[in-house]
Amino acid sequence: MTISRREPWLLLLPAVALLALGFLTPVVGMLVSSVIAPEGGGVTLSNFERLFGSEYYLGAAERSLRLSLIQTALAVILATPIAYIMSRATSWVRTAVLVVVILPLLTSVVVRTFGWVVLMGPAGALSSLPGIELLGAGSQGLLGTEAGVVIAMVQVLLPFAVLTILGVMSSVKQELEEASRMLGANFWRTLRHVVIPLSLPGIASGATLVFALSVSSFITPRLVGGVQLPVLAGTIYVDSTVGLDWPFAAAQSVLLFAGVILVIAATLRLGKVDR
Amino acid sequence: MVKSVPLVAKAAAVVLLAFLALYMLVPIIVVAGASLSESRFLAFPPTGLSLEWYVVALTSDVYLGPLQTSLLIAVVAAVIAATLGTAAALAVTRFPLPFSGAIQSFLLSPLIVPTIIMGIGTLTLVSVIGQGPDLWVLVVVHAVLGIPYVMRTVTGVMARSDRFTEEAARTLGAGTWSRYRFVVLPMARPGIVAGAFFAFNISFDDAVIALFLRTPQLETLPIAIYGRLEFSTDPSVAAVSTLMVLITVVTMIALEKAIGLGKAFV
Amino acid sequence: MRKNRMFPAIVGASITALALASCASGTPEAGGESEERPYEGVELVVTSFGGDWEAALIAGVVEPFEAATGAEVTLVTAYSADALAQITAQAGNPQYDVVHFSGGQELVAAQNDLILPIEASALSTYDELQPLAVEGMADGYGPVIQVTPVGLVYNSEKVTEAPTSWTDVLDPAYAGHVALTDFSNTYGVLSMLRVNDALGSSIDDVTEGLTALGNLAASGDAIVVASSADLQAAFAQRDIWLAPYAQDYAETLRQAGLPVEFVIPEEGITASFITANVVAGRENPELAEMFIDFSLKAEAQQVFAELMRYAPVNTTVELSDDVAGSVLAADQFDTIERYDSQKIADNRQTWTDDWNSRISQ
Repeated sequence: MTISRREPWLLLLPAVALLALGFLTPVVGMLVSSVIAPEGGGVTLSNFERLFGSEYYLGAAERSLRLSLIQTALAVILATPIAYIMSRATSWVRTAVLVVVILPLLTSVVVRTFGWVVLMGPAGALSSLPGIELLGAGSQGLLGTEAGVVIAMVQVLLPFAVLTILGVMSSVKQELEEASRMLGANFWRTLRHVVIPLSLPGIASGATLVFALSVSSFITPRLVGGVQLPVLAGTIYVDSTVGLDWPFAAAQSVLLFAGVILVIAATLRLGKVDR
Repeated sequence: MVKSVPLVAKAAAVVLLAFLALYMLVPIIVVAGASLSESRFLAFPPTGLSLEWYVVALTSDVYLGPLQTSLLIAVVAAVIAATLGTAAALAVTRFPLPFSGAIQSFLLSPLIVPTIIMGIGTLTLVSVIGQGPDLWVLVVVHAVLGIPYVMRTVTGVMARSDRFTEEAARTLGAGTWSRYRFVVLPMARPGIVAGAFFAFNISFDDAVIALFLRTPQLETLPIAIYGRLEFSTDPSVAAVSTLMVLITVVTMIALEKAIGLGKAFV
Repeated sequence: MRKNRMFPAIVGASITALALASCASGTPEAGGESEERPYEGVELVVTSFGGDWEAALIAGVVEPFEAATGAEVTLVTAYSADALAQITAQAGNPQYDVVHFSGGQELVAAQNDLILPIEASALSTYDELQPLAVEGMADGYGPVIQVTPVGLVYNSEKVTEAPTSWTDVLDPAYAGHVALTDFSNTYGVLSMLRVNDALGSSIDDVTEGLTALGNLAASGDAIVVASSADLQAAFAQRDIWLAPYAQDYAETLRQAGLPVEFVIPEEGITASFITANVVAGRENPELAEMFIDFSLKAEAQQVFAELMRYAPVNTTVELSDDVAGSVLAADQFDTIERYDSQKIADNRQTWTDDWNSRISQ
């Protein structure tokens, strides 16, 4: 064997170095910033006291968590069959679906949301659908409702879910499916007992990605849900750019980060399948 | 081709794809419709039809400058992410390394950190330690965000490919460089392309981090659009967005013909 | 390394081509040579509110200024709060020469030494200006260059009888069609203070106004918008008929084709004051002062009035009857209820927290 033993480390080093510089440092900086008193000087927990003592901010955090979980679940539930179809279809069909799925990502978030504001407004097409009041639509259509936010958000989260799950699903060899069919299982049983279990790690991985993206969004929730449905990412943005209270914004960021880690750890545990 | 898929399943697939197309495309159609409006404010249905806002979008400096900036940043960030991410993925999938799991998790971790935290953390860092944000700071942050995507796609591809070709090449006397050039990289290619594509998109479409890190000289296209919508009301933003969509669709179709883009994602 | 990155390579080549092309064509042409232009080629970076405001600034100030001094003005779009955040972050290395504020941020900026005081003698227009425009200069901030009343904006097609009072916002006849502004936007705070006054209270105790408006939002009878763009969508798409807001944006909407009108309620108005300030730590503060002086000249003030209905702060301006009729007259300046900026600054966070907890669901 003539492979240098350093080869793998040489390959790894640049990426690790860049991440240490460009990623670890700001994150650590944010953590440090959260325990600094707003007026300067001294380490303090006052930012966290203020955060946990406020119904408004805790409400925003709760809403972030709840909506993100719902959005993640919906995105994954929709993405899994779509990924399966894509993985078993011809290259042209796959590209066509790919283009359709990626399209929302390519419009600027603000303009894309304008489309939803029109569709969900009092005169919008979506608001005229029968039964829409069940989702909470009122005099402003779906605007200002959590359902509206979920619908607009899932649209952008779906591509990430689809592409992640697609990667894993395509590696589930078609021979396994065929073997299952030959052994007498029908199409649905094969899906349920072969394809899905084998794809679970990918589905879990897609779910974690989608959750992190979802909890980080504030532009769409603000434009569709409005200021009366605050989410934590939104309050972080306002407090850091309008209020200029960076330590307090950092404290909120720590809460957000902690929440994401917890949920992801739980999801990855669910996704581990013993083979 | 899938054999003997029951009709019900095929019908369900068609319904699902139709719903998907509607869900993804209708808001975009609204935007495209509004871009044709004669009115000076964003309106749907459009009041009258006019292409004047496309003229504005294509000739106005408001968008051209930021477009250049966004393209530059996205391309450089994608190249950096693709290079570093591929190298790391190749290391991790082809060599038994101690702490392999931990290393991979670390390299994938930017995926789970909310971008708003990256934004505020980086801004705080460069304001306190450095001169404040500039173009290269943004490029580095975007590259950092892109690396996990490249790692995922490349490890995915490498995990499914066979090890023996490389072994054979080595045994037949191929040097390190030849090994990579003729065996490893071609094998990894679909993953690299897909990952680079993701990294490019993540950078180009980023509004959150660019919002925190912008300076008077550093305005990306999403920020220009966001700002324009805040201060003025005309449909040129809708025109710009529709143009971006059209360009990407054309590019993707071209890529499908050239390298079979659809295969790269599988 | 032969990785298949055709696409990025093609894009990279195109960008290079684009960049080169724009370098070649993008150099602004200097005007004719003149001995009277000591600032030939010097760059001045000025914040702008974009859109129509920027167009007015260019026509009224930037063009005459560049012609007279030879300097080159670079306009950067930045909302007031954002501009303040940026100059705060840039404290060691400021990127702007002139910064415009519309929400009283000059107070904080001056307290933090981010802007420079301007001497009365530095402004050739000083004696022509309304007292209100220059009061703040003694406290270290720049003069007011534009005044826009904050009153009631309404949809003239849906509302047959124009509203007359601040309390009309609370009138059940408008329920479901009112847009209030969030406190993250200064107009939201100012309109709350006006409603509060109309209800018989004062700035020292805002419970009445805050509660009334907060309940209106919480009950769903009013929506809450955060920015001007939201307001435009509110009138255009969301069936809103009435909103307390500033006249300049109402004018923007009207000229864009929306059927809105602006009215001054009987209890009187407050106003939003747009100040122009010299940023500390830059190389050409006298040039920045010159730019601000140009903004105060009668010619510039006339352009502001014609294009965006700003009330001129320069008393020598003559307006056409049409414009004069829809703009706040010089002698009405005394009627503007100008709230103590310090009181607002001190209490804003408390009011905002209270407001947030009332309106959020």
